[in-house]
Amino acid sequence: MPSTPNFAPEIPMPKPLLELSELSIGFTTGHRSIRPVHDVCLSIYPGQTVALVGESGCGKSVTALSILRLIPSPPGHVLGGRVLFEGRDLLALSEREMQQVRGKDIAMIFQEPMTSLNPVFTIGEQIVEAVTLHQHVGRNEAYAIAEKSMRDVGIADPHRRLLDYPHQLSGGMRQRVMIAMALSCQPKLLIADEPTTALDVTIQAQILELLRSLQQERGMSILLITHDLGVVAENADVAAVMYASRIVEHANVGELFENPQHPYTQGLFRAVPRLGVKASRLVAIPGTVPNPGRFPPGCKFHPRCALAASRASAAGAVQGVEVATDTGTVCVPKQCHATEPDLRETSREHWAACHYVAGYAKATATVPRSASQRATEVPLPVIPMAMGEGGAP
Amino acid sequence: MLTYIIRRLLLMFPTLLGMTIVTFSVMAMSPGGMTAIIANREGAVDPRYRKAIHDYYQKKYGLDKPLAVQYLMWLNGVSPLGVKDAGAGWPVSWRVGFKLPDLGESIQTHQPVLDMVEASLPITLLLNIVTLPLVVVLSIWSGVQAARKRGGLADIGGGMVLLGLWSIPQIWAGVMLVGYLGNREILHWFPSAGLHDVQADQFSFLPTLWFAGGLHFDRGWLLDTAWHLVLPVVCLTYAAFAFTSKLTRGAMLENIAADYIRTARAKGLPEGLVLYRHVLRNGLLPLITSFSTLLPSLIGGSIIVENIFALPGMGRLGVVAVFDKDPQMVMSLTLVASVLTLISLLLTDIAYAMADPRVSFEAAPS
Amino acid sequence: MTVPAGTISPTNLGIADAAPPRNYWRQVFHDTFAPTAARLGVAWIGVVAVLGIFAPLLANTHPILAKIEGHVVSPMLQNVTVPDVALLALTAWTIVCLVRRCSPSRLMLGALIVVPVAVLAALLLTHPPDVVDYTQYREMRRQGKIQWELMAPIPYSPYDFQRDIPDAELNAPSRYHWLGTDALGGDLLSRMIHACRIDLAIGLIATGIAVVIGIAIGGLMGYFAGWVDLLGMRLIEMFESIPQLFLLITFVAFFGANLYLIMAIIGLTSWTGEARFIRAEFLRLRRQDFVQAAISQGLPLSSVLFRHMLPNGIYPILITSSFGIASAILLESTLSFLGIGLSRDPSWGGMLNQALSAGGTFVWWIALFPGLAIFLTVFGYNLVGEAMRDALDPKLRT
Repeated sequence: MPSTPNFAPEIPMPKPLLELSELSIGFTTGHRSIRPVHDVCLSIYPGQTVALVGESGCGKSVTALSILRLIPSPPGHVLGGRVLFEGRDLLALSEREMQQVRGKDIAMIFQEPMTSLNPVFTIGEQIVEAVTLHQHVGRNEAYAIAEKSMRDVGIADPHRRLLDYPHQLSGGMRQRVMIAMALSCQPKLLIADEPTTALDVTIQAQILELLRSLQQERGMSILLITHDLGVVAENADVAAVMYASRIVEHANVGELFENPQHPYTQGLFRAVPRLGVKASRLVAIPGTVPNPGRFPPGCKFHPRCALAASRASAAGAVQGVEVATDTGTVCVPKQCHATEPDLRETSREHWAACHYVAGYAKATATVPRSASQRATEVPLPVIPMAMGEGGAP
Repeated sequence: MLTYIIRRLLLMFPTLLGMTIVTFSVMAMSPGGMTAIIANREGAVDPRYRKAIHDYYQKKYGLDKPLAVQYLMWLNGVSPLGVKDAGAGWPVSWRVGFKLPDLGESIQTHQPVLDMVEASLPITLLLNIVTLPLVVVLSIWSGVQAARKRGGLADIGGGMVLLGLWSIPQIWAGVMLVGYLGNREILHWFPSAGLHDVQADQFSFLPTLWFAGGLHFDRGWLLDTAWHLVLPVVCLTYAAFAFTSKLTRGAMLENIAADYIRTARAKGLPEGLVLYRHVLRNGLLPLITSFSTLLPSLIGGSIIVENIFALPGMGRLGVVAVFDKDPQMVMSLTLVASVLTLISLLLTDIAYAMADPRVSFEAAPS
Repeated sequence: MTVPAGTISPTNLGIADAAPPRNYWRQVFHDTFAPTAARLGVAWIGVVAVLGIFAPLLANTHPILAKIEGHVVSPMLQNVTVPDVALLALTAWTIVCLVRRCSPSRLMLGALIVVPVAVLAALLLTHPPDVVDYTQYREMRRQGKIQWELMAPIPYSPYDFQRDIPDAELNAPSRYHWLGTDALGGDLLSRMIHACRIDLAIGLIATGIAVVIGIAIGGLMGYFAGWVDLLGMRLIEMFESIPQLFLLITFVAFFGANLYLIMAIIGLTSWTGEARFIRAEFLRLRRQDFVQAAISQGLPLSSVLFRHMLPNGIYPILITSSFGIASAILLESTLSFLGIGLSRDPSWGGMLNQALSAGGTFVWWIALFPGLAIFLTVFGYNLVGEAMRDALDPKLRT
């Protein structure tokens, strides 16, 4: 529920380009239902890159697909919330109106470039299809636009390439074609669902560099979905961490890397190996991501939470609750097991969803909104070496 | 493209040769073998001439020579290219060149089999050429319907109905169709036999409609032939349709869940375009592949249909030949049918290569 | 607060929780016969099998037991034929084994002993005449010589053409002939019951031959790969490109039409499907570790092929066999229908032939019933095959 933020902004906030407000998506097959996206709140401003970070199975792809309403309607359906794009609720549009938005105002690129292009049509035909659909130009002009698009993404000899078939290109090239196709109609928002996961590391760097430069040229916003913290560090302005269908932390990237508040985020950072540090083992978060059909009650992270375990032992077993985990039982505070924490602004432009984060008890739940964009020359944030316990209770 | 065709042709050559070996082996393995052929011919002949005839065939088929040589001699006779007598074929004066294949003679009519094949082949071809596009169109329609309404009752029931349709024996379908729809006593909607009306020679080609003391409608030759073809084509089509439709439906359903369809939707394409342009194009590929199984069975199925509906095609000729105890004609017909199948398989390969750009024209498909 | 236990969901979401799996093949078997359609298919096949096995007891002009002129005789037993005895003995032995839960090898060994013994006994003890006089019983009944008799439910044999009854040909279904009579005067129902045996036998034996040839060729191709595979593929292409029906009529033209010959011929032309399957399975299996292990232990080739690799490929073979039996029955019916298959032995296809040609008019009962029998049997096998295929690979469901 949006309400006035706790912390007065210094400058009047511009309006967000895209705002997800308590979005929930459910899947029903037969008589069973699951809820892979639960009350997700997110904002993206013009020209901003927002990263949606999380492990596989946390619901980030479903969130992205539901922005464009690409979830097949049986078995998926919207359980609640709104998707506001430039003030309009996309969920309330008719299918025809939605088709006007797709490809033109909001474009999407996917994880698997190998299978995301139709093998029986040429590259040119596929890009031109998008162009003629949204821009009402003649065929020749459409091909010219397609060629320019391909040149913009750095494909050499675009004129010849238009006549190639997808199977004649490498993975990196195909992803560039996907980007060219997505950008050919000048969208305001690009949703990139793990665009580099299936590519080699060197190609990864090229593609991300390409996206950054295109964004700057056009003032486009990007919703970058990834599980790679390195990608977040290099490319994103704002990051939202997702776990088991919920957003658990949302902050500007610099702030997040300097001061991760939610124990899950802290766990993620602890698990990243560091150059120059001698260690015999990586510190992994114990346990596994829960199956959407079997989410634990209360805070979804509590069976694996180091913070919960330490709080319970500090307070004594009397106030705790025994919880079964994959590795045995652990004692956690009653609150973690009973109440699911919502996303609250615990410090300035930093939201977290955890009972034991500093400032949580007094914070209010608001829709996370941060218009920050990093300056072009900002140095990469340094991941801190030692992690503390995340503040006083 | 040309190299692709040539490559396919070359690959077909061993298959063709193998077919001739298989056909020849049937004859060679049979009780009596090659001599059975001449024995039949001898039986109908005056005893005075029997020895001469016997010697003639002996020499012609090389019956005193080893089996391999017999095969080669027979192959040479049947092939349009080979050793020939000077004075016939092309080039005329050479001993080796193109010649008319000698498929033997019919026992009943003493007509060269080649002539009989020439007369009956067009009818078999007509039947199949009308059936094939019908099957394709119906399958595509059925496939798109399945993709549109996936999971509904039509989808699940459809699979069972198609299986049932495929299980209907062609002989039963033909008999029931003729019995109920071609019967003077029940519903004489369609003719029960033949390809043309008795008076077809007198028909004009196109249907005519004129007014002279009352409204007259003359069918015309074209419409008359079409009318005669309805029941046989239905009989051939339903089973083929059931087979290809199952495949097409499966392909469409698979395609509709593909990643590139998600991309197409993300571009903002309306659902109709997604279905009819993207899904369909990919769904055509397994359909074309299925032709390699379908076409031999269509040509074989012509035997049944031609017999029930008394169409004078190759299939009818074959069965009559069996009754007449003319095995050589049956063998020649099988050979012709096999060649026909091979040609249609070649055309299928070319069609597939044109439809699927992933098939390189240089490499031979597996 | 928790969402109820979940299940199948699209690709990147959670996995379904399942009960601990049973033995894999048991599960597949169970899945095959779960849908109603498959059960109906098997039920009909069972009906046909039962009718075929017990045919002499169900449709026979000879009384099963009768007291004629003071003597109690069993004309049925006196006129029993070798196939009758063999089938009944085999069935009896199978039932005994099932009741006592013997192993399959015991069943087969026992069958090899029991059946020849029964056949021998039948040959020694019965003296069926060469030409059977079916009219004698009706004659004797008229003369009152029969005190009592126990008849089969359908008191006509398939070859009883009712020569003593005028106008017996082409009678519509009535109280006496439940499905009518055919062009020669034979009772249609009786002929259809006896045809069950023939059609099933052809289906099973022809497919059996096809499976054996297919496994042999396909197995060698799959195991050795290389040039053996290339050669084999050319062979398969050859056989697949010649339209099967044409090849069949060529065979019949040269060899003549005879029940056993037809079975063999159909088998000889239908093996390519099985060969392809086994080839694909073996090509896949030969890379796997357990095969490499068997070879490195020095096991002989036949052992590797048959004891290690083949059992994995059995289920797909069963699937093609089911469809193969359906196709064999169709082929035999077609040949008989065209008049170049079985002529004397009753066969559904042969009966269908008379529907149009006999008498010049359309004889609806001869068209409907035999055709329906062929259709139901073929449909039954296809249903079972389809169910097996769906059970083995749910992704193939259409």
